[in-house]
Amino acid sequence: MTERQEQHYVCISCPIGCPLRLVHEGDQIIEIEGQECNRGAKYARQEFTDPRRTFSTTVPITGAVYGRLPVKLSAPVPRQAIPAAMAAIRLLCAEAPVRLGQVLLRDVAGVAGVDVVACRTMDRVMIAPS
Amino acid sequence: MFGRMNRRYDVVVVGGGPAGLAAALGALDSGVSRVLVVEREPEPGGILRQCIHAGFGLHHFREELTGPEYAERFVTQAMDRDIDVAPHSYVTGLAVDSSGHRLVRVLSSRGGLATVECRSVVLAMGCRERTRGAVRIPGTRPAGIFTAGLAQKLLNLDGYLPGRRAVILGSGDIGLIMARRLTLEGCKVEGVFELMPYSNGLTRNVVQCLDDYGIPLHLSTTVTRIHGRDRIEAVTVAPVDEAGRPDAARAWDVPCDTLLLSIGLIPENELSESLGIALDVVTGGPKVDSTLATSLPGVFACGNVLHVHDLVDFVTEEALRAGRFAGEHARQIRRPRDAIALVPGANVRYCLPHTLSADRPHTVYMRAKTRMSPCILRVGNLLERKLRFVVPAEMIHLTIQPELLERFYEDRLQIDLLPVDGGGAP
Repeated sequence: MTERQEQHYVCISCPIGCPLRLVHEGDQIIEIEGQECNRGAKYARQEFTDPRRTFSTTVPITGAVYGRLPVKLSAPVPRQAIPAAMAAIRLLCAEAPVRLGQVLLRDVAGVAGVDVVACRTMDRVMIAPS
Repeated sequence: MFGRMNRRYDVVVVGGGPAGLAAALGALDSGVSRVLVVEREPEPGGILRQCIHAGFGLHHFREELTGPEYAERFVTQAMDRDIDVAPHSYVTGLAVDSSGHRLVRVLSSRGGLATVECRSVVLAMGCRERTRGAVRIPGTRPAGIFTAGLAQKLLNLDGYLPGRRAVILGSGDIGLIMARRLTLEGCKVEGVFELMPYSNGLTRNVVQCLDDYGIPLHLSTTVTRIHGRDRIEAVTVAPVDEAGRPDAARAWDVPCDTLLLSIGLIPENELSESLGIALDVVTGGPKVDSTLATSLPGVFACGNVLHVHDLVDFVTEEALRAGRFAGEHARQIRRPRDAIALVPGANVRYCLPHTLSADRPHTVYMRAKTRMSPCILRVGNLLERKLRFVVPAEMIHLTIQPELLERFYEDRLQIDLLPVDGGGAP
């Protein structure tokens, strides 16, 4: 028989930031309290079972107005996959022109369905000092 | 068209960030056709281009976008609708000729000094960051001290990592976002230090930017000294009492090679000041009427140059409005003067616009002086609304309907935030 334990979270669904308490026995959620709306319960359940995050970074790009292209993940990855995702993105290099939403890498860090996509269009420009 | 600048326009917009682009589009919506945006950077988009994190557009587009994505939607619209954008260009002055046209002096790296004639001008220069001088941190003056936004530009646009071991002063959203960003890029963030007993950033940013990466947040603590000769080597930090006085006896040193300052933003009003436009000492931006017109006829203001916003979505809303009124002004449509002064009362730091009229609905933006929950928002004797929660970092917005104002015969309308029983009022 597993013991009853509790986890504490701060809900990030909205600016109020309800302090949440989740009681569980092993993988079994017994109760969630502290939320002022049901988004809080949903958040606590997600945090307990599979906390996911997304992030943005940049990759080098040649032939564009700036030397970096902003990129993001198309969907959140499990939190512990962030370092692996960063490491994979670090190896990327883009060349202008790039379109907004263009996929630069599929299934980043082995997470199926999560792609690295360009966050902006970068046209090919003649670099001239202005 | 990008890079085109003619001699005559209906509306000239100063600044090509989110405010300027939305103002230009708003002007077109009002029926004018010739609009110029003057931008000092090589491309339009403003500060959003370096804000690569997600969280923009939840109000305006009902989806979560990154800064560059949000900017691109407006840049694309501006280009599709034939707005002219002059990059690498500054507005250095403004005059009015005998026929009532505004003459805008534009200095650009390609075209030199030019004069552009127009009927209305929209100020959308945005804001800039407070620096070390604004909080007077004692110590030496080595390299390695950056405002958070500058570090963000270096990292996200230019690709330079500002340092390897950073301390961040100020827990506003830019500071929190930069803590995560630096960590992802391999820079060790020693901690975020905040003078106030609470974070000035959104809770979600404290969770996803600090807690997720194990970065400590020290509340009621500040940097009291900077050490290092050529490059910063350490900072002394100390807890502060309720009055904000540091306690030297409990101070400690944190070794670092970089100090980021995220200590507030100031509307960038050098141009407005040189034109003699009346400014509000609290917002740091121009005083505006309900059409967002400044004290200089035909000159409008919107976005962070008017007051510092926390969400770009509200900048867009405000700028679309300013652009529409600027366009109407260019078409010689005149509205009756505002008859009611809107003034901040209890626990309200400021409210905008400064005056109202009874002929149409008004969007009012305001900021609380302190954290309160719950509280009552009272607009004169016209309107009362219960709010669950207010914090200084989050702008409150409110629509006042003309029916309410029609029966209001005074010339001064005061907005108060009042505690209710059991509320956490000061």
